[in-house]
Formats: sequence, C-alpha cells, structure tokens
Amino acid sequence: MMIESFLERATPIWMSMEDDYSDIVISTRIRLARNLDGYRFPLAFTENEALQVEQAVTHAIKDSTELQENYSYFAIKDLTALQRQILVEKHLISPQLAKKELVGSMLLSDDESTSIMVNEEDHLRIQCMTASFQLQKAFEQADKIDRTLEKALPYAFRDTFGYLTSCPTNIGTGLRASVMMHLPALTLTGQMNQIINAMTRLGMTVRGIYGEGSENLGNVYQVSNQITLGKTEDDILADIQSVAEKIIQKERHARGKLMEKAELALEDRVYRSLGTLTYARILTSEEAATCLSNIRLGVDLQLIEGIKATTLNECVVSMQPGFLQHYAGDVLPPAERDRVRAEMLREALFQENMSKPIIGEKGEDSFDV
Amino acid sequence: MICEHCKQRNATVTVTQVQSGQKVEHHYCDVCASQFHPFHAEFKQEPISIQQLLSNWFGSPSWQQQKAGEKQQAQPQPQTCPQCGFTYKQFLKEGKFGCPSCYDTFSEHLPKLFNRIQAGPQHIGKMPGARSNVYVIKKQIEDIRKRMKVAVDEEQFEEAAKLRDEVKELEKHLQFEGGDVS
Repeated sequence: MMIESFLERATPIWMSMEDDYSDIVISTRIRLARNLDGYRFPLAFTENEALQVEQAVTHAIKDSTELQENYSYFAIKDLTALQRQILVEKHLISPQLAKKELVGSMLLSDDESTSIMVNEEDHLRIQCMTASFQLQKAFEQADKIDRTLEKALPYAFRDTFGYLTSCPTNIGTGLRASVMMHLPALTLTGQMNQIINAMTRLGMTVRGIYGEGSENLGNVYQVSNQITLGKTEDDILADIQSVAEKIIQKERHARGKLMEKAELALEDRVYRSLGTLTYARILTSEEAATCLSNIRLGVDLQLIEGIKATTLNECVVSMQPGFLQHYAGDVLPPAERDRVRAEMLREALFQENMSKPIIGEKGEDSFDV
Repeated sequence: MICEHCKQRNATVTVTQVQSGQKVEHHYCDVCASQFHPFHAEFKQEPISIQQLLSNWFGSPSWQQQKAGEKQQAQPQPQTCPQCGFTYKQFLKEGKFGCPSCYDTFSEHLPKLFNRIQAGPQHIGKMPGARSNVYVIKKQIEDIRKRMKVAVDEEQFEEAAKLRDEVKELEKHLQFEGGDVS
C-alpha cells in the first residue's frame, strides 16, 4: 500500500474493537527486540552492513508463506518529516527510527496492527498492537512473526544472556509489553505518584504517551515492564497483566468514589470540556487533551451520551501536530496549529453533540420554562 | 499575567534571581518553567539515562583510575571486542554494546551488571526454535534430578531409580539434538 493510505486514517481498524476493559485500557503493545549475529548493532555499523541487514529481513518476510498478512515496505529516508511525524503519532514507529537519516526502514501490515522496524536501536523490532487489554493476543502475533523470521535469520542469541540487544535493558527476552491506560480519576484524586513509585519498585515503568515532559497529558499513561532478563515471557506478561488489572480496579474505584461524592462537579467538568471543544477557536494541545480526557470519562460514566469512544480516539490521535498539519495540508507555526486544532475538533464533535436533542432549537420548544 | 516565554498561557510560576546584587523577577507558565528552569529539576522526575546509571555503578571512581594509571605498565591491555572494537569503558560511556560479540568479550563483567539492572544474570525465556528442544530437555532433566534428590532423601529408592532412568532417556535424546550433557 502507499504511505498515504496509512496516513489518512487517524485510527486503524484494530482500534475499534471493544471489550470489558475498553473504558480504561486504550491499547496493548508488544515489542520484541532482535539482532542478527555477525553484524554490528546500528549504533556502530556501516551503511553497507545496514543494507545487508535490511535486505535479509525484508526477504525473510516476503519469502515467508506463514506470514500471510501483506506488508508494505518504507525506507525512512524516503519519507518527509511530516509523514514520519504522523507515523510516530500513530505509534507505528518510534521517534528514534523517525530520526534516521540514512539507514532505517519499516514494514507495516495492512491493518497497521504490526510494524517491523529495521535498524532502529536494534536490527529488528517486531511490534504488535491490539485494542484494549489483550496482552496474550498481541504476544502471540509477535511470537508468530518471530518464529517465522528466526528460521530465515541468524539471530544473535546466547544460552546465558538470551537474545542479544544493543542496550542491556532489553537483553534476554527482548520483550517489552505496554498497556496504554486512561486514568483520569486516579490523576484527579492525586494517586498517580504513589502508583508510579510502586511500579518502579516492581520493575515496571509508568510514562505519559506524548513523550517526556508531558507526563500526564490527557491522563493517558503507559505501563510497561523494565525487566527483560531472568524472567520468562509468560512471567513478564503475567506480571503486567496483574499490575494493570490492579490499576484498572483502583481507577474504577476512584471513579465510583468521584461519582458518589461529586457527581455534579464531575458532570460540570465534562460538559464544560464539551463546551470548550465544540465552541473554542484556539486550542493548545494541553487543553484539548484535558478536555478530550474529561469527555471520555463522561462517556465512560454515562454522564454524557451520543459520543462514540472511536470518535474520541480519533480526536486524540489527529489533534497531534503531525496529523493536524496533514489535515491542514500545510506546515503550520504553533499558534496556527492551535487554531486548526480547534477547528478540527469542532468539526469532529459538533456534529455528534448537536445531533442530540438536549440542546438546540427543537429541544428548547419542548421545555417548560 | 501572561508567561514571558510562550506569551500564551497564564504565568503561574515566579522565579526570582539575584544577578550582581540586583533582584530580577521572571514569570512563566508551568509548562515553560518545567521545560527550561533548573530549579524544577528538584521536583520533576527526570528519567535517568542508562549511561549515567552504568557509569555510577560500574565506572571506577577517580582515585581508582589514578591508581590504575600508576600501575598501567604492569596491567594487561583492556579487552577490546574483536568484531566492533568496543572496550568495556566505551560500553559504560555509551550505555550500549557495539555488536553481539561484545557479550562474549565482556562476559565476565556482565553477570554483575545484569544482577543490578535485570531480574538475574541468566536467560530463562524463549529460545530460537533450533535450540528450544535442547533447552526444554535440559530444563526437564534439571527438574527430574531435583525430584530424584527428594526421593533419595525420603528413601523412596524405587521412585528414585525410575527417575534416574528417565534422566538417562532424556540425556540420550539431548545428545541426539546436539546438546552437551553436563
């Protein structure tokens, strides 16, 4: 497929799936880091080595009958800065891969659930994503690709240290499992710091999703394992599973308490946010993220109706700078982005909101004032 | 008051600096303040890079380096990875290895490192297909030997003999798969 078809969709098909955890967990991601023996790591290799690695990986995928999914290949250097940024915003490639000037490429499955990064920090990074909370499903998909590729590629592996990686923090299983969660009630009630501290002690990390310095923007956090050696894949997944479940439980409890003690205040917050997004003319990404988070909470708590979670997911992705400029069809300075962001969100939410009979001309007639 | 840096958001942070005896006040919003003002480092949890950690833990303190310098003539050359030319010192500085062979070259230093930053120094997870059989059999042998020891301790010799036979069978299998029996 052409790169454009991947850039057009703010949210991929797999995101629309819902399950029991969809009110809190946005997505699950599994990443496996692998390297080929006999080649230096991307930090130290030559361009020629990079090319050889890339060809070996691309052939291994194309020649495989097991990988029935179609993969599109893109060399990072052939993409514009804006295209790269959009791929980062969709979490299809890492910011580090996007920065590669000479080497670096990606193979992307048609449904965007799998992306294979070549010559990022490691020769190979297999990344599989699912909607909501499905660690096992995402891992099985990544494992399947891994098992297919290992037949064709000479993986760097030692009995003692497992899969060898460029950074010692990925050694062993090379597995990073991340669960992206929306935790507004825990943030609002000031419990997040305590959770983050506890996570660190358990060998896990909690980070914001918009990169460093924007830790809890939009109240979305990513919980992932830090330890990759000395534990089996099953142990790592089980640990993340139980920790994430615990956090979900705490978030639900906090939401319940908020509803019990301050329903009106919460409702006020939700509707003010809806008002802002449907009428504002200038929106910074911080304000937009906060408002979207509040509306999402409102939808989850049924304080508000008629707005689909998928619409909100789309808004969260497309309000980011790369998408916004793609939407506008032009490179925009920050101030101009705030204007376009407001316009885009108005368009996305106004229709949905206004189709409801709570406010508006028809509704007014039926009220006895 | 508007933040004097981004000129967009409300200023919520006031920074007072004393420059050559004169007090200067700056007003920033919390976003800008957190981005560039050093005083914020105290409150904000900056992620520590792996390089910093490695250097702190495994880089020798300066007095030791000096001492090592004095003895340099007598000491052997530092190990250098034959494939990528990385030294252990370079690894500590970069926080990353240069190639897979580095793991072989620096193997004696690594268990200590992995004990600190990982759950242990030994991989117990998945293995590439060709080796997984060997690994699984080795694991089975290990488990049976443990059970055998328990059986002997409990004087259940019949059970122990049965387990011993199982181990022998598995060892034959292991040799067939190309693994070393040790």
